[in-house]
Amino acid sequence: MDIWFIVSNTIVLACIYGTLAIGISITWSSLGLLNLAYGFIFALAGYGAWLFAQHVSTSGPAVLAAGILAGALGGVIICAIGFIPIHDKPNFTIRGLIATLAINLIGTQFLLWWFGPRSKSLPDIFGNWSVSLPGVVFTADKVGNVVTSVLILTVVLRWMQSSRRGLEIRAMMMNPHAASIVGIGVRRTSFYVMGITGGLAGLAAVLLSQTYYISPFGGLMPMIKGVSIALCGGLGSVRGAVIAAIVLGLNEALTGISIGGRYVLITQFVVIIVILLVRPRGIAGLLDKAREA
Amino acid sequence: MSIAGDHKWRNPLFVWGGKSDVEELPTIPFHSHQEVWERTRQSATKLNPVGRLRYYYKWPGHGGTMWNRPRYWPTRRRVLRLRGEYNPKTLRAEKTIVDKRPIWWMLGLLALAIAPLFTPGDLQNTLLTAGATFGIYSAISLCWMLIMGTAGVFSLATYAVVGTAAFVTALLAVKFALPWWLLPPIGALVGLVFGGIIALPATRLDGFYYALLTLGLNELCRVYFVTSKEFGSANGGLYGARTYIPEDWSQLGQLLLAYYACFGLMLLALLLYRFVNGRRLGRILRMAPEKREAFAEATGVNFRQARVWVFLISSAALGFIGGFYTSNFGGVAFSIFNFDTVLLGLAMLVIGGVGRAEGAVVGTLIVVFFDQVLNTWGPARFMIIGLIMLLVVLYLRNGLFGIKAQFRAWRDKKKSERRSTRAEKGGEMLPEEATETDDKSVIYQRRHDKMTRDHLKTLVSPEIIEEHRHSLNGQHSEALERLLIYFRTRPQVEKYAIMAVERFEGYRIVALSGHRGVAPRVVEDRIYATPDGACHGVFMRRVQDLLES
Repeated sequence: MDIWFIVSNTIVLACIYGTLAIGISITWSSLGLLNLAYGFIFALAGYGAWLFAQHVSTSGPAVLAAGILAGALGGVIICAIGFIPIHDKPNFTIRGLIATLAINLIGTQFLLWWFGPRSKSLPDIFGNWSVSLPGVVFTADKVGNVVTSVLILTVVLRWMQSSRRGLEIRAMMMNPHAASIVGIGVRRTSFYVMGITGGLAGLAAVLLSQTYYISPFGGLMPMIKGVSIALCGGLGSVRGAVIAAIVLGLNEALTGISIGGRYVLITQFVVIIVILLVRPRGIAGLLDKAREA
Repeated sequence: MSIAGDHKWRNPLFVWGGKSDVEELPTIPFHSHQEVWERTRQSATKLNPVGRLRYYYKWPGHGGTMWNRPRYWPTRRRVLRLRGEYNPKTLRAEKTIVDKRPIWWMLGLLALAIAPLFTPGDLQNTLLTAGATFGIYSAISLCWMLIMGTAGVFSLATYAVVGTAAFVTALLAVKFALPWWLLPPIGALVGLVFGGIIALPATRLDGFYYALLTLGLNELCRVYFVTSKEFGSANGGLYGARTYIPEDWSQLGQLLLAYYACFGLMLLALLLYRFVNGRRLGRILRMAPEKREAFAEATGVNFRQARVWVFLISSAALGFIGGFYTSNFGGVAFSIFNFDTVLLGLAMLVIGGVGRAEGAVVGTLIVVFFDQVLNTWGPARFMIIGLIMLLVVLYLRNGLFGIKAQFRAWRDKKKSERRSTRAEKGGEMLPEEATETDDKSVIYQRRHDKMTRDHLKTLVSPEIIEEHRHSLNGQHSEALERLLIYFRTRPQVEKYAIMAVERFEGYRIVALSGHRGVAPRVVEDRIYATPDGACHGVFMRRVQDLLES
């Protein structure tokens, strides 16, 4: 096991988990909802892409698009069930968190019941080629994962910077109360936000399925990593999430090299706890103001 | 609105046989007073039952025994809070049970204690196992409730503490062949250490930031224990510790022993809950509710320390339960670290209602029933539990035991909405006022007064005013007569009077104070030349007051 292998793996994983983390961050800062049903969205998107590959077409981009669409659908479902009914009720933060956890429980058990416990695998989306440079080998899935996730994230962030809907979402991120006063509909915007973040989760699911299998509970680990990155970067900050993804990826690589892969989660939590003890609002506490509950 | 039919004025003096008296004269049209009466009687408004319900059953009699109060030794706490009072209406001696929860608790615990006697034979195995699981899980839920409800720390690492303590004690028991009674204390020690480590960030982080942090701890523990050489094994857990259940007992005896031991564990947890939540620590933390921590801190309440204390105490208790878990089942499976276990545990708290011991126990009962008794249903039972949890969280503010408070808040809201829709009050008593006056005849006086005024307002017309200006005295039309009679019967306070500024020269209108020795108040600057003019001025003022009322 050479260093380059671990580093490249880490970069790939950081890209994928960073995608999830940015989704979690955007949801929290614009809607005030801590969506812990990402495990379900993740699995749903994986199964959606798998069904598409089974029944319609196995072409890479089409499967990817199917996964993203399935993820967006999952996001919209969670918005309709878990956000719309309670977003204006007292104690919303905790209740929303519990509601998404309940949806996660129901959804994953439903997937288990419908598809059975056997895990599924997707076809290779990015083909099966590899490029050799002196000392390093770029395989198709790694290059594809990094390029696709960076590309789609850039597109989404550009869209949020330049479009009318993006402006609405950014206004909600800055000050949800003021945004609702100037006529930005909380409910309508919430559907966009949940659709987009669900789509990001779907993207992460399809990309990760190039390495791992799709199973009903396979979304748990990515969700925990995503939440950890979002928390460590500071909830509500995209820049913080990117920095945290790099920091935690680095930690993962270094831990894997020095003391072994078993201890990755432990060192990761130690790092997160240290960061949070120093800055209770995460890294973004340095960069910009995180949303207060 | 109809106008009275024939517009005839009937002379009341005609029967006395005066010389120039006529029996009837045509008069200006006016509304009959009957109309207001009819309108009030025919009102289509839905009449809601008004008044205070008797929420408490009133037990008869409180003699000398009322003052003979049994207390829990050695505290001064009473077994049952009674209130002795006299019924204000009947003066009957009554007593009220202010807090019925001890009774419900006693009945519920009694039912749990005798439940094994009534289990059907073919289900005995399932039910007794489920009962034992219920005892352990409700103890865990109670300790978790202390962390979440009392300390206000939204921790999801509860099962990580329990599982770690269980695994460590199982390992020690297998390695050193420890007796079963040593496992819970060792577990408590492990839990205390683990709790101490994870309490560190809890002092700095807000509630749900901490929730996110602890979300991964289960996964961390699961990965660690599954992959480690000492704990990991092929059969999905670590078994082989000695249990307290004797091998040579019959199966039923073993089941019953496990059931009652777990029941005892639940009772211990209840005692701990009561001693932490109901005493000093709980009081301190109730003084510092969410978003008011700064105020509590400013008044000198050290809620952070109390929070850490509660966290450590419950972590030690959770470790104790973990040790007991090992000595009950003879080991522990990795599934205790599953995310679904955490979700089910959270469902137990949420369904019952956070912050109440009864919520933890009843929520656990519901979840364990679906999880253990209906275990042939497969994934469907988790979906049902998730659905219950979702519905509870969407529609109930604080679980099943919060329904009462939520219903009352809703009813009060509806009440005040209904009250505000009755914009017109008109001097009549509102239902809520009416239930609180002792002299009920005032209600009817005011209602009659309002109806009278409603009618008299319809009578005021330019013709009447013109008539009054022309002929101050003598016979008037029916409408004017009614108005004048009403004005004459007003009480003394604020009644108008005419004061002669200068005899036969100037008169002005004053209002009587109604109090002896307090001079009348001048109501307007205008000076009338004649008493008749002043009289008409008083009439006009009264008409104005009537229309404004």
